[in-house]
Amino acid sequence: MLSIKDLHARVEETTILKGLNLEIKPGEVHAIMGPNGAGKSTLGYVLSGRDGYEVESGSVEMDGKDLLDMEVEERAQAGLFLAFQYPVEIPGVSNMEFMKESVNALREARGEKSLSSAEFLKKAKEACKQVELPLDFLKRGVNEGFSGGEKKRNEIMQLIMLEPKLAILDESDSGLDVDALQVVANGVNSQRDGKRSFIVVTHYQRLLDYIQPDYVHILSKGKIVKSGGPELAKEVEASGYAWLAEAEGADA
Amino acid sequence: MSQWLNHVLERASTVDDWLSPVRAQALDTLKQQQWPTRRTEAWRYTSLHPVADLELKSGTGNVTAEAPIIEGLNSLDLVFVDGQLSTDISKLKLPEGITISELSAPSEPAEAIFAQVKPSRHLFGLVNDVLAQQGVVIDIAANAKVEQPIRIVNFASAGIESHQRTLVRVGENAQATIIEHGSGSGNSLNTVFAEYDIAEKARLEHYRFALHEGEAIHIGGSHFKLHDHARLNSTLIGYGSQLTRLDVDIEHAGEHAFAKFNNVYLLAPRQHFDLHSTIEHASPNGTTEENARGIIGDRAKAVFNGRIHIHRHAQKTLAELNNRNLLLTRGAQINTKPELEIYADDVQCAHGATVAEIDEEALYYMLTRGIDKQQALVMLNFGFVQEMVFQMPNKALADWLQPILKTRFESMMEKQ
Repeated sequence: MLSIKDLHARVEETTILKGLNLEIKPGEVHAIMGPNGAGKSTLGYVLSGRDGYEVESGSVEMDGKDLLDMEVEERAQAGLFLAFQYPVEIPGVSNMEFMKESVNALREARGEKSLSSAEFLKKAKEACKQVELPLDFLKRGVNEGFSGGEKKRNEIMQLIMLEPKLAILDESDSGLDVDALQVVANGVNSQRDGKRSFIVVTHYQRLLDYIQPDYVHILSKGKIVKSGGPELAKEVEASGYAWLAEAEGADA
Repeated sequence: MSQWLNHVLERASTVDDWLSPVRAQALDTLKQQQWPTRRTEAWRYTSLHPVADLELKSGTGNVTAEAPIIEGLNSLDLVFVDGQLSTDISKLKLPEGITISELSAPSEPAEAIFAQVKPSRHLFGLVNDVLAQQGVVIDIAANAKVEQPIRIVNFASAGIESHQRTLVRVGENAQATIIEHGSGSGNSLNTVFAEYDIAEKARLEHYRFALHEGEAIHIGGSHFKLHDHARLNSTLIGYGSQLTRLDVDIEHAGEHAFAKFNNVYLLAPRQHFDLHSTIEHASPNGTTEENARGIIGDRAKAVFNGRIHIHRHAQKTLAELNNRNLLLTRGAQINTKPELEIYADDVQCAHGATVAEIDEEALYYMLTRGIDKQQALVMLNFGFVQEMVFQMPNKALADWLQPILKTRFESMMEKQ
């Protein structure tokens, strides 16, 4: 469903992704781990089409379509979702109208009818309940004054509402305590239906205790340097990322 | 000099009621005033040309109107049509602790407040002093907690000139909500000035909706005096019209007073809106938070002048003033001037004014959720003023206003 081939991308003058390859089939969960500065967040931004992240070469196809040729909103309409590491505060727009606009934009793109206010509200209430966010969060400005954990749960609430084909979770675990981590993980796991795919980007193995990946990839200096099953995450947990430097030393 | 002002001076001499001694003083001051030109600082960006030779009739008092319904508000409504009170006050069922009388009836609070809170520098305030014979006097007894909002509605009809006054005293430790709700779109001139005396530990929640449009000329002010530990939360909403000019004065007369003043202006093409606010910190330990936000349509012109004056003894003052504007086209205009004048050395103050640009990160975030760029821009731009609506303490008012402002904004975007 997602095919990334030899992707090179840069921010301003610095090339961050240097030949990244990744194949994801429907229903699979791929974890991408790596040290700070490896290019983990860049991957999410490049896939979502953020301004300033320029693709130098390579290709990305989603469901056989050229993802890189689409506008940011078209990628979302095609089924891509990015859960932000640092969700953005939009004080003057309520969470409710934000989500309603978004849900209906995606439904329209899929050729489905817009939800009525009542239908939307029902769905939104269920999603809030699932990530343990009080209902009054719907009335508040998007992420306005939310704690770090609340912002992360709000991202997962959106994931549940938007039903993407592919969700990229960018460090959805950072800054969470164990209880909040559990809530986030449960929210994500509830959306695993055998068809929806996930890229779980994380620095630590901890999140992967709760969200079991099918594959684990180690990203270093803009490429995937090692791939394996869930056991690879355990190795990282045990030995950290120091071995990367050694391996690279050996390469040279 | 203007024909219109000459005519005001003539008419003033015919006004004879219990307030005549105070009116006479105002008339003396008024006679010394020059008709403002563009060289007059307070009128630098607002031309009084539409008023200079205006000749309109006075209201007859024969017209009645129903107050616009606001669902869930359950307000006590006092309705004025063209400056004439059309509500029979004697038949109102008043909440406990509140007295309402007409301006024409001598009363102790009216005597204590009339022209005492409003500074005498406002030319049209003086005009209102000498001509306004109609108005209400609202007295909230000490310790009374009046839950029911009181709404003063005024309609301005085409062809009519009117002058209306509101006087409010919120007694010690009392609480009240007052809404000034004005509208009109025909060629008219109406001045509406309101004075509020907020006693020690009293709380006032205040709204002024200047929803005048089209050919209406609306000039007025809301003026507040805060005593020790008094709290004011005020929201002003303006549409702009041929000419709308409002002056707001907040005086921290007592210590530890708190004032929050949010205002929003949403100008349709070719409309004019001018807001001058002056906050006087005359005593120590006062706090002011003022936020002004405007969206200005094509060839419309907004003027914002926000002054905070911290007197020498007003130590430990906290004051913030922020003005943000969004111009919808290159023909839209804002003249903004935040001013801080500080004579005390131990204070915390900040002020700023911007002509806003879109928050690119917020836009990106919305796009990643599949929202079309055009729609995302509408939401973000409107969000900029909607934030002020969300902050209104009265939810029924916020729920009523939000869709009205949104519809107005959407039509402004279409007319570009």
